[in-house]
Amino acid sequence: MAKRKARRKRTTGRSQRLLFWVLGLALVVCALCGGSIWLLLREEPAPANRTVTSSRREVVLRIAYTPEKREAFEALVADYNATKPRLPGGKRVRVEAVPLEADLLVEQALQNAFQAVSPDSSIWLEEIDRLWQKERAPEALLVGERTHYMVSPIVIAMWHDVAAQMGYPDRMVGWQDLLSAAVRNPDFTWSHPSPTTASGLLAILATFYAASGTTRGLTEEQATAPATLEYVRQLEATVKHYGEGELAVMQHIEEQGRAYLDAFVVPEQLVVQYNLRHPEKLLAIYPLEGTLWQDHPLALLEHPDRTDEERQAYALFKEYLLSEPVQRKILQFGYRPADVRISLESPESPIRPENGADPQQPHTTLQVPSAGVIEVVKNVWWYTKRPANVYLVVDTSGSMAGRKLSDAQAALHLFLEEVRGPEDRVGLISFADRPHERVPLVRVEEGRARLSQEVEALEAGGNTALLDSVLYALERLEALNDTGRINAIVVMTDGQENASAVSREALLKRLEEAYRSGLRVVVFCVAYGRTADMKTLEAISSAAGGFTSTSEPETIRALYKALSTYF
Amino acid sequence: MTKTRAIFIALILIVAIVIGASFIVRRSGTNPLAKVEPLSVRIICALPVEPFVREAAARFNAEGHKLEGRPIQVTVVPMDGLVAMGRWERQEMNPIPTVWIPDSRYLVELVNATYKGTLGRDIFLTGGEYRARPIATSLFAWGIWQSREEVLRQKYGDEITWRDIHDAVLAKGGWPDLGGKPEWGYFKLVVPNPRRNVGGLMAMVAAAGEYYGKTRLEVADVTNPEFQAWLKELMSAVTDFSSFGAYSVENLALFGYSMGDGGQLLESDLLANMAGIQTRWVEPMVIRYPTYITWFDFPYSIWMGDETTAEEKHAALVFEEYLLTPEIQQLAVAQGLRPANPEVPITGENSPFTRWQDQGVMIVVPRTTRMREPDREVLLALLRWFDLNIAGQ
Repeated sequence: MAKRKARRKRTTGRSQRLLFWVLGLALVVCALCGGSIWLLLREEPAPANRTVTSSRREVVLRIAYTPEKREAFEALVADYNATKPRLPGGKRVRVEAVPLEADLLVEQALQNAFQAVSPDSSIWLEEIDRLWQKERAPEALLVGERTHYMVSPIVIAMWHDVAAQMGYPDRMVGWQDLLSAAVRNPDFTWSHPSPTTASGLLAILATFYAASGTTRGLTEEQATAPATLEYVRQLEATVKHYGEGELAVMQHIEEQGRAYLDAFVVPEQLVVQYNLRHPEKLLAIYPLEGTLWQDHPLALLEHPDRTDEERQAYALFKEYLLSEPVQRKILQFGYRPADVRISLESPESPIRPENGADPQQPHTTLQVPSAGVIEVVKNVWWYTKRPANVYLVVDTSGSMAGRKLSDAQAALHLFLEEVRGPEDRVGLISFADRPHERVPLVRVEEGRARLSQEVEALEAGGNTALLDSVLYALERLEALNDTGRINAIVVMTDGQENASAVSREALLKRLEEAYRSGLRVVVFCVAYGRTADMKTLEAISSAAGGFTSTSEPETIRALYKALSTYF
Repeated sequence: MTKTRAIFIALILIVAIVIGASFIVRRSGTNPLAKVEPLSVRIICALPVEPFVREAAARFNAEGHKLEGRPIQVTVVPMDGLVAMGRWERQEMNPIPTVWIPDSRYLVELVNATYKGTLGRDIFLTGGEYRARPIATSLFAWGIWQSREEVLRQKYGDEITWRDIHDAVLAKGGWPDLGGKPEWGYFKLVVPNPRRNVGGLMAMVAAAGEYYGKTRLEVADVTNPEFQAWLKELMSAVTDFSSFGAYSVENLALFGYSMGDGGQLLESDLLANMAGIQTRWVEPMVIRYPTYITWFDFPYSIWMGDETTAEEKHAALVFEEYLLTPEIQQLAVAQGLRPANPEVPITGENSPFTRWQDQGVMIVVPRTTRMREPDREVLLALLRWFDLNIAGQ
């Protein structure tokens, strides 16, 4: 009995060991088989010439776009990426949207920084090809397949009573009416963006056409004729100030309403959007002589290393943009969708007379000159634009010490680089306990080195005599009484007023008077950091037809760059 | 040998066999577990027929056609015929497609002529099973907004000619001088950018033919200073070559009469956009046929070079046959193209040819003078002239 027990025990032990060995080996076999199968079936490594952003599993389509359509474009891209699109071969597609001003977009397109672009106008695509041909061969084209997914005509936005004074709706209003009103009435304020946007370029082309007495066939000779330049100079002299883009203009209109401007040049879409939100409506005037379109092309850039997968990814995104639901969504943003089967007269269309727009307009367009003529117009415009007197008023009180001051200095340097008008003058006033004029107004071309030197020499210390310093700059501009120029003060502070002799009320009264006078001194304020006295700054800028922007050390450079476009 | 050892050795052998087999398979380059690779037919396609070919390709792919057990996968890449021709000639076509469908047969002949110089043979065949065959046809016709057409008819009569358009373009006061409305501005001609759409070049060729009253142009004709001055006046009435780009009628529909009053455009493009134009701008367009007619025949041309395999060439042929079936040719008709298969009628309930007859569409175009294809030197002279005098101005 005991023997049988012992044998059973030995047999059980042997069976257990055998089972252990078998299981162990089975696991090894499974692991080896799995490994072999993985080796067998694994994908080949991605080719070395793929783009940096794409990978074996994903194709990234980088698209640069101009920022006036940021809201719509970013929303469309986000929706698209959320659908987790895939190429027919199974790879994931992801669109990366990069907002860039038109001039930077053109520059970086040539450097193969993205696969596709969507600027505000096809004019920039022609510019890309023109520069590409200069670099490569006369027949080489960088811009490949292109499409339209939304468009919007450029209009003159004005308040109803302003349009009525020009005879609307009994007669059609045009560029000439706008320009005559500006010349006749010193209280009339209008503005157009700088020519780095399609709206700004249109306004400039319209004035050059008006100057040459035609609406088509503008040539380099016509654009540079002395009579043309003189005419444009006179018209540009009526511009209140320029600006970094139509979105910024609309933002100021949102904040200040009709006090900001009587008329301005923007795409129809922004007028529609504004009117959807406000009881006091703007009117979109489609100029009698003709307008241009913001046609928002989407274009593939055919760099030599473009891959078929990137082309497919582009085609997929294009297909998405042109699908009916997306086209209907585009209409809700106030753009005219590219799918012409979608009626602009339908009940859901916001492009309607109640929102200041007429879907049957425009009747005619101005002829777009060639890329070469456009380049000439943009260049000579700098010599015809309204010159400016700008005082940079800079807080150097004790709280500015350290990074704040050094970032502000970098921003001021950038501003000085960006002011390019040959007749523009800039002066520098720093303030702490009291204002100190470091450089009186000087033509930037002549005084850039000295201005830069003084900016570099700024040191922090003392109190904040903000009000006295604004008054000081104002008095200097008043003393000059230079009504032919834009007169402006750009004041920056990070703190609270604590050292001025003049009261806030007295200063505001002086500013209002100066803004209403023929001199029309405009004040732009920069609230630098969280401790800045926003209330006082906003009161100052609104009394003097300007606006207040907030900034941190990281964003101060961008802000001063944007401010430079106003002059 | 104990039972345990036997099992152990057997397992070791199994492992060795699996590893050995996987290495042999990897070295031989075959993969027994891999899916059957599809046969790829990549088509570079002229813009006017691209929607038709793309739709046909989508159906073809969905139907799962096979050749010797391998599925055929068709992809379509849109490219203007002239742009493609430039790429062939500069050897920039990368990758080489299986098939090229240009706008017209003469573009194939021009590319063949280039390759004959280097290869000593045609690279697209003109005879035999793999010859280039049309998949549809279309012709150039005047497309003009109805309100503008009425004014032009009052002034110039029923027939529209390039000379009448030239006269309208020169009207000093614009449309009011012709009897139209002041808000219409000047007469705005629609011509696609010849660098992006061969239709723009064909418009210039047609205008030259009418100017000289002949169908065969010589280089001397297009370099004649008097003709060039006349053509420059005509082309100066185009408002914007950049926005019109390659898709002129699509863009005419989008920008409406603000960008163009009319032009000589491809009938199929006009028909494909007629409904959209009326929806967006309320006003319809009218189609009128010129005296000198230019036809596009969209030849399906299979690349005969070594860059594509015999199977891929054969698969391309299978898709060509599919394109020419009556059912698929009906798709072409629905998009305003005239079918290549003579069995397919262009009239029918949903045919745009029937729908837009009241707007001037002709089911049968009467025998008129057909423009002959110009040779390469004439085309290059016109393009150079365009670059220097219009695009560069």
